[in-house]
Amino acid sequence: MRRSTAAAVGTLTGAALIVGVRLSVSAPVVPTAAPPAVDLANSRQDADPEPAASSTKKPSSKKPTAKPTEDASGEAGGSGLKNGIFKGSAAKNPYGTIQVSIKVAGGKITAADATYPVTGDSATINPPAIAALKQSTVKAQSADVDAVSGATFTSASYVKSLQAAIDQATA
Amino acid sequence: MHHAEHVMGTVVSIDLADNLPQDDLRAMIDDVCGWLHEVDRRFSTYRDDSEVSRLRRREIAATDCSTDMRHVLEACADLWRETDGYFDAYAAGPLDPSGYVKGWSVEVASARLAEAGSVNHCVNAGGDVRARGLSGTGAPWRVGIRHPWEADKLSWVLSVSDQAVATSGTYERGDHVFNPRTGAPARGLRSVTVVGPDLALADAYATAALAMGEGGIAWLAKLTAEGYDSALVTDDGRAFSSAGLPAAV
Repeated sequence: MRRSTAAAVGTLTGAALIVGVRLSVSAPVVPTAAPPAVDLANSRQDADPEPAASSTKKPSSKKPTAKPTEDASGEAGGSGLKNGIFKGSAAKNPYGTIQVSIKVAGGKITAADATYPVTGDSATINPPAIAALKQSTVKAQSADVDAVSGATFTSASYVKSLQAAIDQATA
Repeated sequence: MHHAEHVMGTVVSIDLADNLPQDDLRAMIDDVCGWLHEVDRRFSTYRDDSEVSRLRRREIAATDCSTDMRHVLEACADLWRETDGYFDAYAAGPLDPSGYVKGWSVEVASARLAEAGSVNHCVNAGGDVRARGLSGTGAPWRVGIRHPWEADKLSWVLSVSDQAVATSGTYERGDHVFNPRTGAPARGLRSVTVVGPDLALADAYATAALAMGEGGIAWLAKLTAEGYDSALVTDDGRAFSSAGLPAAV
């Protein structure tokens, strides 16, 4: 996960600055929920993440989507940037959708982060980022084992289980 | 020494591979069986006189319960939070901590064995396994994961030492795991196996993932960071496993 963060940093820093500039002139100040935590495993289940929908809009339409969160103080710093956490609109690239968020404190951008590509094909460029389980076909094998793990059998169904056979063999 | 004990509505297989006098091994097995029956008397929802039944009928308050009961209630509450509510001791209505108790009781049993001098053993409580040290062959314990459709076949074979292997599935006792969000039987996953250091947690995680349905696949992926690997099979026969699954070669 960290490696991909580093890989994206170049793009993100640039994007964050651009978003930051946009934010500084952004008029609507509507509190929203905090930016989504970078939570790949969960978001992967959502077939079409909400941010992707806005990515088809023209760049100029992105401005209103960048809103300060509830924890934004609203006070203007010396640079004209408002303190708070700001979320950029989602940007779609051939590898997936990236959404940048920045934190402004004391009029300066103090942190930038981003959600990662979450589409299926992103796994090819971003393997460590997604701690996904790998898919295969279910095998049916017979092997010599010491114990069998399975859904809990009852006292009655035990006699038909593989574990019962093992117990018999080792008794 | 090998022993199979009927207790807690299932059978617990105990395999001690230590090179110790037979009498010592026999005494250890007796101690473990005594403990498991004590757990059954205290936590069985099928016994009217169990502590859990008296707690259900509000004859006793949670604060007046035994140390073990208070531990179990606390652990169930922690797991409820940790699993976004999918591990729910109240999923079926009244308190039923069975989903935690079995794994926990075997985890405790294994610790008791280790304390008594057995550092090489494998305890299998109806499909939930806690292994320590090495098997009688001098190699790690080989634990098969039951194939979710073919009862006499295995879908994975693991090689484990000092680890727990817990499986929850819908194929053995039908719809007994419910999605607490919908109240409907869990759908999507046929079998979920979690491998990790603690059987109580591994068992609860497997049950929670089963309740989540396919969303459980991504949730399990996050657990690998905490040292819990997994292998699962979906209702339509797809298999998933984490990279760290200790598959035997």
